[in-house]
Amino acid sequence: MDELTEKKNPIYSFSDYWPSIGIVGAIFSLITFVGGLFFGYQQINSEPTGSFLSPFMISSGVICLISSIAGLIAVWHFTKEVSPVLKLGQGAVIGFLTGAVIVVVSVLLSELWVLLVDPEYNEKMMESVIANFEAMDMPQSTKDDMIDAMAESMESQQSILRQIFIGIPITGLINLISALIGVAIFAEKEQKDF
Amino acid sequence: MVRLKHLRLYSGVLISLAVMFVLSLGGGLWGAEQSIGHWTGVLFQNVCHQNPDRSFLFSGAPMAVNSRCFGIFAGLLAGWLAIPLLTGLTLKNRWPLWLLSLAVMAQIIDYTGNLFHLWVNTNMSRAVLGIFLGMAATVAVFELFKPEN
Repeated sequence: MDELTEKKNPIYSFSDYWPSIGIVGAIFSLITFVGGLFFGYQQINSEPTGSFLSPFMISSGVICLISSIAGLIAVWHFTKEVSPVLKLGQGAVIGFLTGAVIVVVSVLLSELWVLLVDPEYNEKMMESVIANFEAMDMPQSTKDDMIDAMAESMESQQSILRQIFIGIPITGLINLISALIGVAIFAEKEQKDF
Repeated sequence: MVRLKHLRLYSGVLISLAVMFVLSLGGGLWGAEQSIGHWTGVLFQNVCHQNPDRSFLFSGAPMAVNSRCFGIFAGLLAGWLAIPLLTGLTLKNRWPLWLLSLAVMAQIIDYTGNLFHLWVNTNMSRAVLGIFLGMAATVAVFELFKPEN
């Protein structure tokens, strides 16, 4: 394969992708985990106000926004560290796998936190969120249904594998889209043959 | 009929977005009274606060995502469907990326204004801004699917 053909059709192995996926995925999962804990303990230690703008609700929006750009950052990292030439499909793979890494590492960190540091974290969090729902201005029947559903969901105690299996598709797809945007912004455009 | 570049990737993402959109309708589609606790709600719990008060209803039950997320998913799907039509356009500058930046800024401004009680946004206003962001995200990538002449 000559140099020009190789530049147009770069072939990368998984080990070329892995640093970008792993580093960016790990950094973003750490950010979302620490951010989640920060807002989580704020929620636990706050009085139920019934306001939508509770720390838990604010954190959901902020954390989602942050974790959705991981695919874009991973593509940027790849174009800086490995090669500026990147096909769209390769960008998509990087984005999806970065989302998957975020889910896996976040779930593991959360499990470790509950296992080693604060075994009652989930329980306290759920009680606080339910107390806030109780104080909200909405029909009692709606509140009761929601609280029952949340309590049921908590009692079912999802396994680590189930959390990972359920979390990857949506987070992966969102990061795949942001990685495509990353390809549009950072990847070198293919050169036309003359 | 336009034959897109990266057709398999386009089709795969289209199917995934369509499935995500349908699932985001939540438990109402499957006869449940709530989406929180329902498997559709569990699917989105990592990416959305799912406050029923800030979600549209579908078949009498709050959707699995709030109105802003639903708007984003709807915008992504609508924009993705429009990519074959957009590939006819020829752009000489980076306006799709400016449009995306504008959509992101609009989200941040709307969220912050509501947070600091400068205004109160509604389900509809959040959904409209969400649709704008979703469509802007797909417009930012449409040129990558443009068929080669």
